[in-house]
Amino acid sequence: MIYVNYAVAGVVFSLGVFTVLTRRNLVKIVMGLSLMEGSIYVLVISTAYRRGSTAPVLLTPPHGFGERALARGNVADPVLQNIALTAVIIGVAVTAVLLAAVVRVAQHYRTLDADDVRELRG
Amino acid sequence: MNDADLSSLLPLAVVAPIVGAVAAPLLARWSGRAALAVSLLALGCASGVLVLVAPTVLGGTVLVEEVGGWRPVGGSQLGVTFAADALGLVFALLCAVVGGLLLLFTFSDLADLGRRETGGYACLFQLLLAALIGSALTADLLNLFVWFEVAALASYGLTGFFLERPYAVEAAFKIMVLTNMAAFYVFVAVALVYAGQGALNFGQVRASMPHALGSADLVALALVVAGFGTKAGLVPFHGWLADAHTAAPGPVSALFSGLMVNLGLLGLLRVVFDLYDARPGAVLVLLGVLGSLAAIGGAALALVQDDLKRLLAYDTVSQMGVLVIALSVASDESLTGLVYHLVDHALFKSLLFLCAGAIVHATGMTKLSEMGGLARHRRVLTIAFVVGALSIAGVPPLNGYVSLGLIHESTEHGHLALFVVLTLAQVLTVAALARATYLAFFRRRDDDYDRFERPRVGMVVAFLSLSAGCVAFGVAPTWVLDHVAGPAAASLTESGAYAAATLRGHGTLTAVHVPFPYLDPVRLLVSGGTVVVGLLLAWWAVRHEGRSARALRPLVALHTGSVNDYAAFAVLGAVVAVVVLAAT
Repeated sequence: MIYVNYAVAGVVFSLGVFTVLTRRNLVKIVMGLSLMEGSIYVLVISTAYRRGSTAPVLLTPPHGFGERALARGNVADPVLQNIALTAVIIGVAVTAVLLAAVVRVAQHYRTLDADDVRELRG
Repeated sequence: MNDADLSSLLPLAVVAPIVGAVAAPLLARWSGRAALAVSLLALGCASGVLVLVAPTVLGGTVLVEEVGGWRPVGGSQLGVTFAADALGLVFALLCAVVGGLLLLFTFSDLADLGRRETGGYACLFQLLLAALIGSALTADLLNLFVWFEVAALASYGLTGFFLERPYAVEAAFKIMVLTNMAAFYVFVAVALVYAGQGALNFGQVRASMPHALGSADLVALALVVAGFGTKAGLVPFHGWLADAHTAAPGPVSALFSGLMVNLGLLGLLRVVFDLYDARPGAVLVLLGVLGSLAAIGGAALALVQDDLKRLLAYDTVSQMGVLVIALSVASDESLTGLVYHLVDHALFKSLLFLCAGAIVHATGMTKLSEMGGLARHRRVLTIAFVVGALSIAGVPPLNGYVSLGLIHESTEHGHLALFVVLTLAQVLTVAALARATYLAFFRRRDDDYDRFERPRVGMVVAFLSLSAGCVAFGVAPTWVLDHVAGPAAASLTESGAYAAATLRGHGTLTAVHVPFPYLDPVRLLVSGGTVVVGLLLAWWAVRHEGRSARALRPLVALHTGSVNDYAAFAVLGAVVAVVVLAAT
């Protein structure tokens, strides 16, 4: 629990939403989405943290402890970190697809202005 | 086979289409037909597995498979669990069978595709189906999110399939932005639930959900409503839906409308009932309002569309609204009706979109104002479209009559506002489809069509199978209610038993028994009344095209086509959902 990180995540997420809602340049919209995504990583990783915990990398048990004691050690929650990692992977793929679409839009419409890319409406 | 053997087969239902998705593009280098054959084989294999487990699951047993042998330790489950309950199985089976038919149709319709395109298309198509089947069978919250993303990525590719058409790329960009935001909402919701409950398995989350929900749980629920609501195409998250359906090939629109949007609904059902036990009451009210907006807004927009596929897409928004209204009533009757209507909608909406695709295939036309007189040239196509339209209109003995009847009946007592909304939406829906049917098929058209391609065998097979499904689910309501909809609704009414089963590894549910008086005069009167009023409205809309367009201009003008605006609507909806739920 790190409250500063939560605040940062909230601010960055809001910036991302602001970008998506107000910027008409398609590349900037993609960047806004990336900002939202990045803020979520910060949020999730911060949620995983516990006061005084270490990274959940456990090689050998400390002297005088058995294997079972490892599970009770003060480590950050590996499941949430794992969730964040999954999201990073998906995020990279999605950003690539988004940018590919932007390139195609630029080729077809000869513009990146979202207001000129609205053949479908109504 | 005993239950353990049957449940060990469950992952195959997902693995088979994924293997097909990998094999199809490789085989397509050699021959397009081989790619088609392997795809159909993969979907046939998935259907086979699901049919094999169906008698047990529909009999009330929940089959549970801990993937990779990760069993719960001390009551906590870290691994992914697959659980087949009747609800998930019905949806998964629907996806495998209808998906196979759509793929068959595609390769008749788009037979002149290049080999590379054929392979890519079959790959994305099967990935999307695998994601839908996976989301139906999974009992793990993070896994549900992953299937959501797999479905989303595949749908981006399929929307932009006609890369050479500018509007296809435009539509692909819109669906990407909106679905991506939806994915963020769902993702944050999953993280919040995990941070609060320390669990991802449905049974474990359900068990540790506190009696008084904390604010993090409520925000998570609101984000789930916004995220899965986007996938389901609820107003105001629906901006992507009509565009994606217009731009995609016909069978892809059928796949989106008939099957993919249901992923959103299924996610809502799983989270609202199985994890939160339909608490707090405000979430049902919120969903009732969102459903009403979609039901009426979608149908009204459908009434003034000129593009046939766009019209059908807005009708999908309306039908999803009807389904979500049924969810919000949350009685035995409405939930049975919901499952019944979900199956019906998949059948008739796929059928209608395939008809629209076949019209494009035959004439190259998409606009209703250019079509006309197709009834004279295309006997089978006309019958198929009319069957689909009559099913939506709820004309007995077709399937819509029973499912809509159940949903309408469930709102008659105590939910008068929803009953009025449903009736109004139904009148508008009948009018929109009657107008489309008249303009495309029965209007006089003096000059002949330039080109007229012959329908192919695969197309006729798909038409006949889906039409037969529409009729079968309409003439045998007692059987369907006892063996399909009743057991499936039990996963929602007895959500605690289902959730517990996913953790314990086994469990049974007792089917809901809801009678449907087929010849009840009130039902017949309501159904007949909406059809008559709808037809009158359609007649007025055709006669006074300008006036109906003017009346709905403010609503149409909201759909500016700008991705910023659509994102703004969606964010507004999400904020409202968070505020409403956090305030309770």
